[in-house]
Amino acid sequence: MKDLVRQKLSIHVDVMDLLNKQIEKEAHSSSAYLAMASWCDHNALSNSADFFYEQSAEEREHMMKIFKYINDNGGTAFSPEVGNVNHDFKSLEEIFETALDQEIAITKSIHNLVGKCRKLNDYTTEYFLQWFIQEQMEEEQTMRRALELFDLMGTDGLGLKLLDERIPQIRDKRPE
Amino acid sequence: MKVLHQSQFFISYQCDKQRSFFIKFPHKTIKLGFCQLLAFRQQVKEIDLEAHFNGENSHGMEMLMLCNRQHFFVFNTVESIDLKEFITGTFAMLELNSLLTASV
Ligand SMILES: [Fe+2]
Ligand SMILES: [Fe+2]
Repeated sequence: MKDLVRQKLSIHVDVMDLLNKQIEKEAHSSSAYLAMASWCDHNALSNSADFFYEQSAEEREHMMKIFKYINDNGGTAFSPEVGNVNHDFKSLEEIFETALDQEIAITKSIHNLVGKCRKLNDYTTEYFLQWFIQEQMEEEQTMRRALELFDLMGTDGLGLKLLDERIPQIRDKRPE
Repeated sequence: MKVLHQSQFFISYQCDKQRSFFIKFPHKTIKLGFCQLLAFRQQVKEIDLEAHFNGENSHGMEMLMLCNRQHFFVFNTVESIDLKEFITGTFAMLELNSLLTASV
């Protein structure tokens, strides 16, 4: 019997399922960051708002990267449903803490995917995911740099305003 | 045409010549390309069996449309349970076949 599956699909079916799960997670991240951007806008923290708008757009790019990868390799990518987006935050600090937690969860999820690829000898997807491993490392660093600002500057009175002005600098200048 | 997997109500086949799959349902047999088989698998995976027992799905019916809405199926609870097992079994056989082909 021919291996028809392999003729059509160059990634493992179980890996494809996990990639579709990852699409949902990136979509959720994108929406979560959008909610954070909105909160920042309402609280007159325009630099932080810009930062989260950009984060949101990046997460959508991540999602699309995976989406295309699945379809280009003969699989079927499913457009994700996004639920449970939190819009309530106590402070900007809480927002950045939530953002760091979210990035850590995504890192774990990517690592889990790589583990699955190794188990199933899906070297193609493992190679594809290398970019995401690097990306997650940088994302976590960015959020940590933001939280360091809170430790350094405090948020009393003018502090929060000054802190917001420093936000554009937390993103590292990495060559694309 | 080779049988991939047989469950209580369904049988799946692979046809090398036509490079496609066939599924025999109780009242008809349909032909599927690989993408369609994947889409079918996804729909079956999304069936929430629990809803059949906790009253959410009070009629205990699942409706699936296959192959760009060419085919329409209604399954009851017993068939839905069997369908899940059937899809798992079919894909397990396909994976086994991949492993065998790769090792030759
Ligand atoms: Fe991401
Ligand atoms: Fe991210």
